Amino acid sequence: MYKTAMLTKDLVAASSKPLLLSILAGGESYGYEIIQKVRELSGGQIEWSDGMLYPVLHRLERDGLIESEWKEADTGRERKYYSISSNGRKALKTERQQWLAVHNTLSKLWKIKPVSA
Amino acid sequence: MENQTRFSLNAAIENWRNELAAQPNLASEDRRELETHLRDAITGFQQRGLSDEESFWLARHRVGQPQQLGEEFVKADPVKIWRERVFWMWLAVFLSNTLGSLAHSMAFAMMPFNFQTESFVKTRQLMEMTVIMVSILTPLIIAILLARGRLISQFSRLMVLLEGRRRLAWAALGCVALSFAFRIASTMIFNSRLPAHMNMPIGDYLMPTIYSVVIALLLVWLMPRNEKNIQPA
Repeated sequence: MYKTAMLTKDLVAASSKPLLLSILAGGESYGYEIIQKVRELSGGQIEWSDGMLYPVLHRLERDGLIESEWKEADTGRERKYYSISSNGRKALKTERQQWLAVHNTLSKLWKIKPVSA
Repeated sequence: MENQTRFSLNAAIENWRNELAAQPNLASEDRRELETHLRDAITGFQQRGLSDEESFWLARHRVGQPQQLGEEFVKADPVKIWRERVFWMWLAVFLSNTLGSLAHSMAFAMMPFNFQTESFVKTRQLMEMTVIMVSILTPLIIAILLARGRLISQFSRLMVLLEGRRRLAWAALGCVALSFAFRIASTMIFNSRLPAHMNMPIGDYLMPTIYSVVIALLLVWLMPRNEKNIQPA
């Protein structure tokens, strides 16, 4: 379902939640903008298939971690904007701890400087 | 020689939209969201200097295969599409109910009353037949015409009533009020032709009205989320 040239499918699926929550924690956004941002930040290493982003967003919304609202942009084009909820911020905190735990363990094994949570 | 089949971006988007609409698993809001994404992607490619046609095909490829999208979307929220189906089902029930109620009132008001029992039974049967014909045959004929591609432009104009929960609530309330008024008027006309002791009680039409109000509330609650928000992002 995802283009997996760079990251394995499992890793893309597992990382989509913390990535989306982190992006939305920085302010509301819509699907196309989110994809552009991920592509840009990862230097093209994380490539999401555009249409498949929405089921992930909808699942997060159903779980109450994000909220959505249709709004009209300056250009007159209507878009569905997503924003993080307070539950989403809590979930992000947990995700952050878990990813950093993995990161730090690997860092020690690979002798890279660890990152503080 | 000029290219004979010139590419029309609008026609291409329209075709793509129809392809999405043919996916039973995509709710109308999902399709709208995907379409804004397609348009954003097209604009993005155009800004990078690509032609309309190239932009469209690349954007289309990016968004993904409609069938695959349908499968993934329904996995993320299986209830959503059913909610939408149930909404349309109850909308049909509501319209048929309103139509039946109006037909009933009109038949009731126009019924030539005769005190001879035999004639009364016949008239009553005729009245019931009329009501059944109007409330069942009319939606049936409309459904057949719509399925054969007629009446679509007229119906698209009516879709304005479904834009936003508030508008739907007002339209439904209008239908309920209309049938309520028709019922009062017809009972009054009916009663005016009868001696006082044979009058129809006014309370008779309260139950159907409550039923209509309940369906109207159900519709407003079930309505697929598609609200328009005017505030700029």
